[in-house]
Amino acid sequence: MRAIFRQVFFQFITFATNSIQMTTKNRRAFLKFATAGLLAFFVYIWNKLTLQHIKTSENKTSTLPLNKNKEVQFFDQYIVVNSEKGTTVFSSYCSHLGCKINKVENKKLVCPCHGSEYKLDGTVIKGPAYKDLKKVNYTTTADGKNIIVNG
Amino acid sequence: MGNKKDKTTFGTLAVAMFWLVILSGVLLAVPFNVESPYQSVSTIAVTNPWGAFIRNFHYWSSQFFLIFSLVHLYDHFHKKDKIGLKAGMAFRLSIGVLIIFLAMITGFLLKGDADSEQARQILHTLAERVPLIGESLAFSLLGHPESYQLIYVHHIATFTVFIAVIIIEHSRKKYWPPLFDFVISVIGVLAFSYFFSAPLHDNLNPAVKGPWYFVGFQEILHWLSQPEWSLLLFLALLILIFLVNSLSGKTMFFSKRSLLLFTAFYFVLTVIGLFFRGERWQWKYPWQNGYNYEVLNNFKAPRVLISPEFELETAMASPLIQGRKEACLACHTETHGLVDSHSPEAIGCVSCHGGNPFATAKKQAHQNMILIPGNLATAWQSCGTTQCHPEIVERVPTGLMATLSGMISVDRFVFNEQDSPDILTNVHSLGNSAADEHLRNLCVRCHLGNPKTEYGPINESSRGGGCLACHLNYSHEAEAALAMAGDTIINAHPSISLAISNNHCFGCHSRSGRISTSFEGWHETTLLAEEMPQEKNYRLIEGERVFVKKQADVHHQLGMECIDCHHSYEVMGDGNLYAHQEDQADVQCSDCHFLGKARTIRAENLDNESAIIAALRLKNSSDKQFLLTEKRKHALVNTFIENDTAFLQTKNSGIKMALSPPAEFCSRNNAHSKLACSSCHSSWVPTCIGCHNEYDPHEPSYNMVANKEQTGGWVEFFGEYQAKLPSLGMRTDGDKTEIIPVAPGMILTIDKSTYTNDTDKSTIFHRLYAPVAPHTTTKEGRDCKSCHNSSLALGYGEGKLEYKITDGKGKWTFSPLYQRDENDGLPADAWIDFLQTRTGKVATRSNVSPLNVEQQKSMLTVGACLTCHDDNSAVMKVSLTNFEAQLQQRTAKCIIPDWN
Repeated sequence: MRAIFRQVFFQFITFATNSIQMTTKNRRAFLKFATAGLLAFFVYIWNKLTLQHIKTSENKTSTLPLNKNKEVQFFDQYIVVNSEKGTTVFSSYCSHLGCKINKVENKKLVCPCHGSEYKLDGTVIKGPAYKDLKKVNYTTTADGKNIIVNG
Repeated sequence: MGNKKDKTTFGTLAVAMFWLVILSGVLLAVPFNVESPYQSVSTIAVTNPWGAFIRNFHYWSSQFFLIFSLVHLYDHFHKKDKIGLKAGMAFRLSIGVLIIFLAMITGFLLKGDADSEQARQILHTLAERVPLIGESLAFSLLGHPESYQLIYVHHIATFTVFIAVIIIEHSRKKYWPPLFDFVISVIGVLAFSYFFSAPLHDNLNPAVKGPWYFVGFQEILHWLSQPEWSLLLFLALLILIFLVNSLSGKTMFFSKRSLLLFTAFYFVLTVIGLFFRGERWQWKYPWQNGYNYEVLNNFKAPRVLISPEFELETAMASPLIQGRKEACLACHTETHGLVDSHSPEAIGCVSCHGGNPFATAKKQAHQNMILIPGNLATAWQSCGTTQCHPEIVERVPTGLMATLSGMISVDRFVFNEQDSPDILTNVHSLGNSAADEHLRNLCVRCHLGNPKTEYGPINESSRGGGCLACHLNYSHEAEAALAMAGDTIINAHPSISLAISNNHCFGCHSRSGRISTSFEGWHETTLLAEEMPQEKNYRLIEGERVFVKKQADVHHQLGMECIDCHHSYEVMGDGNLYAHQEDQADVQCSDCHFLGKARTIRAENLDNESAIIAALRLKNSSDKQFLLTEKRKHALVNTFIENDTAFLQTKNSGIKMALSPPAEFCSRNNAHSKLACSSCHSSWVPTCIGCHNEYDPHEPSYNMVANKEQTGGWVEFFGEYQAKLPSLGMRTDGDKTEIIPVAPGMILTIDKSTYTNDTDKSTIFHRLYAPVAPHTTTKEGRDCKSCHNSSLALGYGEGKLEYKITDGKGKWTFSPLYQRDENDGLPADAWIDFLQTRTGKVATRSNVSPLNVEQQKSMLTVGACLTCHDDNSAVMKVSLTNFEAQLQQRTAKCIIPDWN
């Protein structure tokens, strides 16, 4: 039995080496293929690990003081706008390229980077931005003094 | 090849720069703190001159590394022959170009200032929009939004290592530059580092820009609504570089030319971005206002001084201001006198005064400084920056005190240059007409935009001064320090606060309507200063105007000041343009003196501005209910309801007083329902008649807009000033008519030909009365006869108004005191002729008119009764409820006027 196995094994090795040696072209193709595979594997792992990390490190809620007297308040990531219709929380990132909007001029929210302008209800009135400011869901605390934003 | 070995090329220079970048980077890592980049970079700039120098060295060596690498790349392109690199190598080189830019931009991000923060956002968004892997890519590149850790890692390791490997491979292991190249590189960078500093944003300037090599890209991004397409541009460029390096023939040539074309195009964009874009990426020409501040500011980094003009210990001990270190506080250590919110510990110096916070020498630090902040021309750079009072600074120029709309419009109307006195105008758009020159010579100095140009407190001669006009106060110490000022640092700073006194209003409001002086009971005379009697009933203002004591306003007697009635939205404007004072004024007598239920607002519903003022003014404002104005629903934050009683507390002195409702007489709402409170409750109003204006081309005069002396100007010859009870006029507002106090506004002649040299329409004559707000309020109203039996009140002017009964017929007669004017045949001080209706150009407002003949008759009918019946008699009291019925019941003894 052993001898048979040994023979088969040798025959396989000879075949394998022969076939690899047969053309260097094929071997190269294989290596390239393997490298690409490896690379793809790492890209996959990288993408996975990063997305997983974003999930775990994400600060899901942030608390902002609610001051209904102030028409517009700028926070790091949010803009709180109070109007007769109520309080709206917007993402402070311009819909064009994500610059932080930190200024109101003539009742318009203006972006410092490329000059996009939004109305206080978040609708865009001057480009380059064409999408409205993103509205963010929030809840108000029971005492009415804070806004909890769910990232 | 042998002699090529040591030849200096842009390639070898780039390699030399690369090593200098590495060296300086390692050194810079010592003082740099990635946990608070902006704070650490500004601290290096202020307290560590060697660190600051190395930062410059790192900056310049990297900029030159980039430049030389790109020129090296181009060096190959302008030749026609092929470069012919292997595909793999060409590929890695192309990626290398991308990596160089990434290394550069991460360095830019690591200074953590306003520019960097926005650049980071843009980079993040762009990376995020790469298909499939965007989210991971963005996070892997930039990390958690609140941390700079990953950016730092990539900057010092990932990208640097990659570039090093590429250099080694590309230069065929000649990774040490020739010694000569190295030496000239070091010398060059040293020189640059000494003369020019690496930029650092002060986080106050509203203009944000990327690094110079990306402002062209910023320009492109600003055209694109969907900026992710710009990523294709990067891809295309990398492919072109790859093609140039690896291919030959037509494709290579085409790629070279494309790159060349793009470079030229990008160069133009870069120039536009660097020199023609200001705040919010708006187009800005060098001759436009604010160019220096918005555009050139980018280039103004102070030079490093190895021995700064202050002790490093003092700089180290100075507080951090809004996340940055300010060098100002290393010299100005003892500055005091400002209120807490404006103290140097809270907002530093630069927030208000501009200049350069990171300069370590006086001259550089004080460059472009705003010595007197608060003037309206620069308020947007100081008081009005985002973190401070932007919404107020935006509003103030719309207010009447800044536009002077009413003053200008009425003046043009009087000069017959405008058909209506109510057109909205602005002091900044005065032309060259006779009226506009007249305004420039005699009137418009008071607008708020008129800049304050000298230090010192606001006094009775002050005009304009923007925010300072009201908010500036010098302590005795500050005033004394100012007088002593030489080369020494003044430590006693005047305060900028809510302590606004009558004196702040006085400079402008003691003229024309003279409400400031009338309120305090001072009436201007035509006496000269040297004629002034030396007694306490006289007062000299501005060294030349003599005032005499009259009855003061009851509110003044109670200790109230201007700001106790006039709230912030009235005084600083509410964002709307108004034609006249009475339009902008919001507060009315009835807001405090009301009957029935009060209009109130709870503290938690106050607008932010009122809430802040209330909190600063009142010790405990949070649980109060404030009164609201009826007209525009603004809160009066010094009034409140306590136990169902309304109180007013004076803003500066804190005197608390109960607010009384109007007298029963006023609110009975019959006979006098159309009367404005002030038509009865004013004791006097200053009047002036017989004024003449002419232009004298030789008269030394003043241009109040340009603040310059000039020859030739309008001269005013005034008649007589008198304190009189106001006359009565009528304001029609839609369906609503109101009887209001009026006074002679413009009874004058203007010799226009002296200015225009047009003798056809030489003399203009006007007889216009003006609505007045006398500010001489009395507790008791004026008596019945002072209106019903007064020629002055009715508009006839001074004279003898008599009711004569002959043969059972009553007849009113009037003989004027003043002669009749040759221009219109009316007595000099009259508004209307006795028992006549006058229409046309009659008042300084289009909605104000004199009493018509019917109204005069009804008033005089009551006046006839009053010739026999006492004011307080039962008959007269009853007549207030139903005069007609009372009239029917009259006895034969009562003779009512016969009008025929």
